[in-house]
Amino acid sequence: MQQLTPRPRRGFLPIRTNAFDRGFIGVVLLVAIHLFWLRFLEAYLPLWCATVLSLVIGVIVVRKG
Amino acid sequence: MRSSTIGWLFLAPTLLILLVFGMLPFVYVLVIGFTDWNAFAAVATPHFNGVENYRRLVFDDQVLTALWLTLRFTIFAVVSELILGYFLAQLFMRDFPLKGLFRTLHTLPLMVAPIAVGATWRLLTVPGLGPLSYYLERWAGIEYRLNTYASQAFFTTVLMDLWHWTPLVTLTLLAGLSALPKDPFEQAQIDGANRFQIFWHITLPMLRPVILTTVFIRAMDALRTVDEVWMLTGGGPGAATRYIGLHIWRVVFPKTDYGYGAAMSLLTLYLTIVLCWLLYVALVARKRSGEDSR
Repeated sequence: MQQLTPRPRRGFLPIRTNAFDRGFIGVVLLVAIHLFWLRFLEAYLPLWCATVLSLVIGVIVVRKG
Repeated sequence: MRSSTIGWLFLAPTLLILLVFGMLPFVYVLVIGFTDWNAFAAVATPHFNGVENYRRLVFDDQVLTALWLTLRFTIFAVVSELILGYFLAQLFMRDFPLKGLFRTLHTLPLMVAPIAVGATWRLLTVPGLGPLSYYLERWAGIEYRLNTYASQAFFTTVLMDLWHWTPLVTLTLLAGLSALPKDPFEQAQIDGANRFQIFWHITLPMLRPVILTTVFIRAMDALRTVDEVWMLTGGGPGAATRYIGLHIWRVVFPKTDYGYGAAMSLLTLYLTIVLCWLLYVALVARKRSGEDSR
């Protein structure tokens, strides 16, 4: 029978995660980084830096997490 | 026809309902959150304004205070309900006279609408007239004024939530306790374990999924509480009980600031999801990962 849920695996995150979990963690981090940036760092660095940073972190989490 | 196609066909009505009533409103709110839509503005149509609502939101002290108050309310309410609910569930596991009647009476608050709960507690606490304020002042000498003292207002909202929702916690924990196997408890008693050891090493780990589900349901409910508090205190005194749901209501309806209200709603949803996920990771996923790696 075809398995719809991706298989969980262990990466650098402290829990076993499947692809959906890692995608979710990536989105959670993306929102958190943008909100943090808007509040504390936007006066010094533009917001697109936060977008680039969160995309990089998102890719790392999805591939290695 | 392939079995997977038939499966998808069976799922289609549910997926369609979920899409129409779940996903579309969410996407709509998401889009509105990036606009400056305000019905009282000179141009009362939505215009895309990027992350301006979120920029305003992270500097808005009223929102941050409301979020902190909501978090405090949730922690106080859910922890108290869990402790009281557990003791009541343990009580209902034993036999005592008039148990059935007591259980029915105990469950009655669940059937009362939140707005009626708020109205009832409002009547209970009217200064000088409500029984609660009258007897507290007469017997304990406590000046009980919800419209004056912020801490009294806060703890009364917690107490009201406790009164309303502890029965739900009791019932779910009672269901969990009733379903536990008897053997581990008997073996622990034979081995000489005391009550606390039995609770800590047997009951609590076996009850963990039920506790987690109960905490999820109650935390999500407490984080979006509006109507009860609105009836009891109206968010006052000042903004002492203006929880985030109530604050969003004030921004969206009287002020018709739909764009900003949508952004606040999304932030609340985000925090609720993150909190529940962190709780899940702390209580279940980490433990399961640890067991798997052994």
